[in-house]
This record gives sequence, C-alpha cells and structure tokens, in this order.
Amino acid sequence: MENLLWRNSKWGSKLVAMAIACVALVWVAIPFLWAFNNSIKTEADTFRQGAVIPFLQFTPSLDAWKFVLSDPQALNCLFSSALVGVGTTLFVLILGTPAAYSLARFEFKRMKSRDITLWFLSQRVLPPVVVLTPFYILLAELGLIDTWLGLILLYSTFNLAFCVVIMRDIFRDVSKEVEEAARIEGASLWQIFWMIAVPLSLDGLIVTAFIVFAFCWNEALFASAVTSQHAATMPAFILASRSTRGVDFNQAAVNTLVAIAPPVIMSFFVQRYLARGLSFGAVKG
Amino acid sequence: MAVIASAQSKAERGFKYALLAPAVIWVIGLTFFPIVAAVHFSFVNYVLGEGITGFVGFDNYVRVLTDGGFWYSIFITLVYVLVTVPIEVCAGFVLAWIITIGLPGKSFFRPILTAPLFTMEVAIGYLGVTLFTDQGGLVTTLLAAVGIHIEWLSTGAGGLAAAMILDMWIWTPFVFLMSLAGLSAIPNDIYDAAMLEASSHWEVFRHVALPLAWPVLTIAILLRIIEGMKSFGLPYALTSGGPGTSTQLFSIMADLTTIQFTDFGRGSAMGVLYLILVSVVITIFFKQMRKRIE
Repeated sequence: MENLLWRNSKWGSKLVAMAIACVALVWVAIPFLWAFNNSIKTEADTFRQGAVIPFLQFTPSLDAWKFVLSDPQALNCLFSSALVGVGTTLFVLILGTPAAYSLARFEFKRMKSRDITLWFLSQRVLPPVVVLTPFYILLAELGLIDTWLGLILLYSTFNLAFCVVIMRDIFRDVSKEVEEAARIEGASLWQIFWMIAVPLSLDGLIVTAFIVFAFCWNEALFASAVTSQHAATMPAFILASRSTRGVDFNQAAVNTLVAIAPPVIMSFFVQRYLARGLSFGAVKG
Repeated sequence: MAVIASAQSKAERGFKYALLAPAVIWVIGLTFFPIVAAVHFSFVNYVLGEGITGFVGFDNYVRVLTDGGFWYSIFITLVYVLVTVPIEVCAGFVLAWIITIGLPGKSFFRPILTAPLFTMEVAIGYLGVTLFTDQGGLVTTLLAAVGIHIEWLSTGAGGLAAAMILDMWIWTPFVFLMSLAGLSAIPNDIYDAAMLEASSHWEVFRHVALPLAWPVLTIAILLRIIEGMKSFGLPYALTSGGPGTSTQLFSIMADLTTIQFTDFGRGSAMGVLYLILVSVVITIFFKQMRKRIE
C-alpha cells in the first residue's frame, strides 16, 4: 500500500489525517497518564491544585504503590486472578482444541460442522446475566461458591466457544497436503493432529490463550456474584474496595494500573490474528 | 481394498467423535441445562438453602413486567447501546481508514490505539470516578476552566454520559481493529485503480472502501450491540447504579435482584425476558456468521 493513496494526497488531507491520528493518540493516552501521575502522588497532593508535573510541582511518592502492594487482600486477589485465568485457559485449550480440529477436518452425519461450530458460538453471545441464577444455584449446591474451581468451571463454559471457533478457523488453513503426506508415511490420525496440525497452528493457540486469559482476568459479573473472600479476583476486589473504602485518587490509580497491566502488556506481543480471533474467524487478518 | 477403506473410515469416525464429544458434552451440561433451569426457576419460588418452595405460575413475570424499574433499566440499556455503538463504529472506521491509506507509523499506532480494548472495565470505571467527580476530577476541572459545569456523577444523566464516554474509550479500538483487518484485506490494486479514477479521497472512501469493508463492519457492529447489551462492570464501578437506581443498566439491576436480594425467581424471569429481547440481534448475527464462515 506504500502507497499511491498517500503519495497522491494533497497536503491538506495529509494534515487532517495526521491531526485525527494525534487526537486519537492523546485520547487513548489521557487515562493512562492521569492514572500514572496520580499513582505517584501522596493523598494530600491529589487534592492540591497545580500539582501536575512530577518533581517540579510535587514530589513523587511511592506510598500508594507500597500501600496497595502490601495489602494482603490485594495480593490475594491478584493471585486468584492469575490462577483462575491460567487454569481456565489451559482447560479450555485442552477441551476445545481437539473439538476444533475435528470440526475443521471432518463432516458429521446429522449436522454440518459449520452449524455445530455456530452452536458452540451461541453460548458466547448469550448475555451471561440470563444464566446467573442457575449458575449461582449450581455452584451453591456443589459447595463451590467462593472457590477457584467454581470460577474456572464458569469461565471455561463461557470461553470454550472462543477456542473451538478460532482454532477451527486456524486449522482449516493448515495445508491438507502435509497431513496427507504424513498419513501415507503411516502416521495415525492422532499423530497427525498432535504432531503436525497443532505445532503448525501455534500462532492461533497463542492468540486464543491470550483472548481467553484476558476475558477471565477482566470478567466482573460472575466474579463479584460467586466470590467474596477466598477466591475473589481483581474485578471483585476493585468493586468491593470502591464500595467500602470510597475513592482515594492515588490508590484508585494504583489499583487501576495493577489491574489493567497484564492483558494490556500481553496485547503488544499478540498482534497477529487478533481481529480474526475477536470476530470468531469472521474477519481474516 | 474396500475392507481397508472401511476400516480406515471406521477409525476416522471414532477419532472425530472422540475429539468432539468432550466439548459437546460440556456445553450441553453447562449451557443448555442452565438455560432450561433458568426457565424453570422463573416459574417457581426458590429459597436459598431450602430449594424450590412452590410453583407460582406467571407470578414472577407479572411482578417483573409491572415493575417500572425493569422497563427503565431496559430503556437506559437501549439508549446506552444506541448512543455508544454508532459513535464507536464511525470513529473506529475512520481511524482505520486513515491508518490504511498509509499514514506513516502504522506499526506504532496500531498496538497503542488497540490497548484500551484489553483494559479491565471495572478498573476503568473506578478510575473514571477520579476523572468525573466534582471534587477535583480531571474532566470536571478541565471543563470548569473553560466555564462548563456538568454534574457528572451526582445525576443519572451525567452518570450515564460519563459511562458512555468511557465505553467509547474502551470499545472504539474494537471497531478500529476489525475495520483495519477488513480494509487491509482489500487488494492494493483496487485502491490504486480507484485513486486514478476518483477525484478525491472521500470518493474512494465512500464508494470503494466502505462497500468493500461493509461485511466486516456488519460483524463488528453486531458484536458491539451484543456486548453492549451485556454492559455491567464499567457503569457499575463508575456509579454503583446510582444516584438511586438512575444508572442501573439491565445487567446491574438483574445482578442486584438475584445476588443481593436473592430473589431467584424474579431474577430468572428477568433473564428469560431479556434473552427474548436480545435473541433478535443474536439471530441476525448468526445469519451473518453463517455467510462468513465455511
């Protein structure tokens, strides 16, 4: 694209394009900068007018960071978030990847594999609040309220569709000739799946893992409904501290930065296939 | 020969079902059972610890449908979606177009402009309090400096507006990312040819880029509507549903009914009614998806 459209542009339209891009950049950056700037203020400085530029107008302090990161409840929630996120991701990949492969390669008697795939997708687009009651009661009956296992169970259910739909799409791109050649060499169906298709689809697995992890990390409705102390994740922690402690600017800023950092940082490394993954394979790219 | 072929296809049949079955069983057990259960619970009285204490017919539905709070929450959820989605779609698509036509620094802009998409909604809502509060919030202070005074978090309309602004911050990147993929999929020759024919960028945008990227944009719009109808964490963290119940979007209200007031019968009835409402959008979405995936 490098690029007739751009080269033939008039100076005016180039300037407008650049201006829009810069506005977008500032718009995206403001909450991050505001949070960062507040996170290094003392509580008194957060209320003082004119305390904007660190070192010049106020003395940076790590008090809020120290406070939040030494709060056992916050650390506990970070740990729960990580554990539930990783646990769900692994479980979803183990359960979903074989199903995705099966749907990518084979047809079935009663239903087209495309329709089975869409059937999987239906549970992802369902508003979760619809099944809040039955899931709450199910977990209560099983004694899984406020446990990591309970959350992993719930999140696996909501995210299985991601894995099945995305990985099916990726597997369809793996060349059939390679698999055919392996079959002639005497590889079993399982070997073809495990030793050829899966290694060739690593990019897709990584993107799937990232999307599933980010969803679990950020999920709030069930996290706040079915956890209280032990298994509370970061969203539940933030909602709870909002209602009990109110809002201290500097602590809110640290909480925010800690809570959003993992998926945001990961996203910088997972750019390929992102649109494809988030659109369930409907958008290539 | 036929014997070998049939042995092979038999192995294949076992294999394909073995791979698929665990996931299918999981979904039937943990998706279809809960939906059936939700419908069931909506017709009974359920007390935590005691279980079902009686069949009440349509009582739960009557109580929900005659409750002004239910209709209000549906109304503001629809307003929320109808305001945020069109703005997000326009802004996201225009940004994607600007990057596509060759603005220098594409690989710099893309990851940064998509970063908000992966932030935690609850955290952004919480941070939003410090942006919109009238006690030294950034937005409030900046607007006051130019003489504009808006009561963001102390009024229902202001709270909703603040939530919508933050919603746009998080979700415009989604449309941007989708549109970028859609526009990049259009071959360069088409752009080049169009540029030679057309008299302005606007014409290429209007008559080439938009129609060719439209199928992708349709999927993005439908997914945004579906996700928007689920909005919970961001508005809840920002306003806690208040003042009063003025910013209780549907998911917030249903969550409070079910979990805080443990009114499971009414909560289920709300869920079922909402499912019927949302199924219109979901049906359209599935029709589009059927065309897009093979």
